[in-house]
Amino acid sequence: MGWEFRNKAAVCGIGLGPVAKDTGLGNTALIGAAVREALADCGLAKAKLDGLFVNAGVDVDRLAENLGLACRYANQAWTHGRLSGPIVQSAALACVAGLADYIACIYSIDISERGGGFGGGRSHAHEEGREGGGPHGEMPHYGLTHPGSGAAMAMRKYMARYGATAEQLGMVAVTQRAHAALNPAAMMKAPMTLADYLAARPVIEPLRLFDFCVVNDGAICVIVTTAERARDLRKPPVHIAGMQGLRAGREEFVFGRPGLGVWQQTEREDLPQVHPVFAMAGVERKDVDGLMIYDSFSPQVIFGLEEFGYVGPGEAAAWIASGNGRLDGRLPVNTHGGHLSEGMLAGWGHQLEAVRQLRGEAGARQIPDAEVIQYLMGTGVSIIYTR
Amino acid sequence: MSQRPQPRITDDNRPHWEGAREGRLVLPYCEACARFFYPISPFCPFCLKAPVAWKPVSGRGRVSSWVVFHKAFYPYFADRLPYVVVQVELEEGPRVNGNLFGLDPGSIRLGLPVEATFEREGAEVTLPQFRARAAP
Ligand SMILES: [Zn+2]
Repeated sequence: MGWEFRNKAAVCGIGLGPVAKDTGLGNTALIGAAVREALADCGLAKAKLDGLFVNAGVDVDRLAENLGLACRYANQAWTHGRLSGPIVQSAALACVAGLADYIACIYSIDISERGGGFGGGRSHAHEEGREGGGPHGEMPHYGLTHPGSGAAMAMRKYMARYGATAEQLGMVAVTQRAHAALNPAAMMKAPMTLADYLAARPVIEPLRLFDFCVVNDGAICVIVTTAERARDLRKPPVHIAGMQGLRAGREEFVFGRPGLGVWQQTEREDLPQVHPVFAMAGVERKDVDGLMIYDSFSPQVIFGLEEFGYVGPGEAAAWIASGNGRLDGRLPVNTHGGHLSEGMLAGWGHQLEAVRQLRGEAGARQIPDAEVIQYLMGTGVSIIYTR
Repeated sequence: MSQRPQPRITDDNRPHWEGAREGRLVLPYCEACARFFYPISPFCPFCLKAPVAWKPVSGRGRVSSWVVFHKAFYPYFADRLPYVVVQVELEEGPRVNGNLFGLDPGSIRLGLPVEATFEREGAEVTLPQFRARAAP
């Protein structure tokens, strides 16, 4: 590691705008609520915000005008959730490099703008028709539509290779629903048993209804700054101890993990563990108190656990089914309920939950004495947060 | 009657669709690397050589994964539910997608031998598809 980055940057403020099936609000209104809450959360004056990084919902230039900011660092990413982690990382790097003092990272979704859902050509970005199916490899002419089809294809391969069962997969959604019941902000709080999960209709087999994330409106603001500046604000800093980037290429698949043998990946039995995030953060897996795993579709939780070596290839489904990821289990996973039950917030809800857990603000779902929380995704992106 | 969503035929992928109209599965091929590749790209992913050659593949392969749709995200597919989309590992290496015809979804297995078949969709579009074949 050429450059000591550990604990140089921090998240200082978080804000969650309205999250609901249909808030009746547009993106800018949703974002306004999230920004107001984030500023109030950390006691930062709006005039201090000099950076803005938009993931989705609006254009950064107009938003800076609407928020009345004078930004010296404005940036924008493609409107995809897997870029939420990289945006936090880039904001952290920019703050430490002195390009900005405080960067507000913004995500919003007004689902009515996307025809009320995904798949079926309603996607805001028309990604199904873009560059050979966009990042998920969708092919509408074959009826291979909706992002969930990629997750289903990856899960089928996994089940066929390792003998994982529908009952094991179902425990991802059941576990997270139980967590969501303890999260006042979650959309889906009604109790759900494995029998309920199995009785729900198949959508894209092997995935059933509750393997899919909720479809909703929502907005989030995460304010990133240097650790030094964060110490002067109202809430204790949540440090970015380590990170590693999103991976892309022929050995990656956005809804799988390397070696699975979907799309153009090489199929292999082993899984090389090349994860500098741990050394950068100075922690080992056994030090991690909780995992926030990107979960627009439940198989992603299984693939994330294996990609990062918490279990061996083919073992994650059984690991979850045995209760290891529960709040009272060996290593709690998605204590907020994740996209499956809290709501689809493109990975930003996961960043917020990491912050809440490390501040001790997670209420009934608090992981006792949480000191290290890891955000991760099966395509290699990760952030290790510490107190 | 609702129309099937159409593939986007572009300068980069036209030989693939022209081949399908003639009943051949045609994929990009790099002469320098002597290998086929997929997804379609105007240059070789291994050596970046352009332009690429286009050659027919055998059309034979094995099912490497599959999904079964029970929901019609496009109205066109409503009468066709449930339908199967397979990922096929071709003998030449690349994996491609298509619908699998003539087999009950419950009898599909990893490694099932399949071969290309062609579904005429209109004057412009013929879709490469797959059906089961006897193992060699
Ligand atoms: Zn080449």
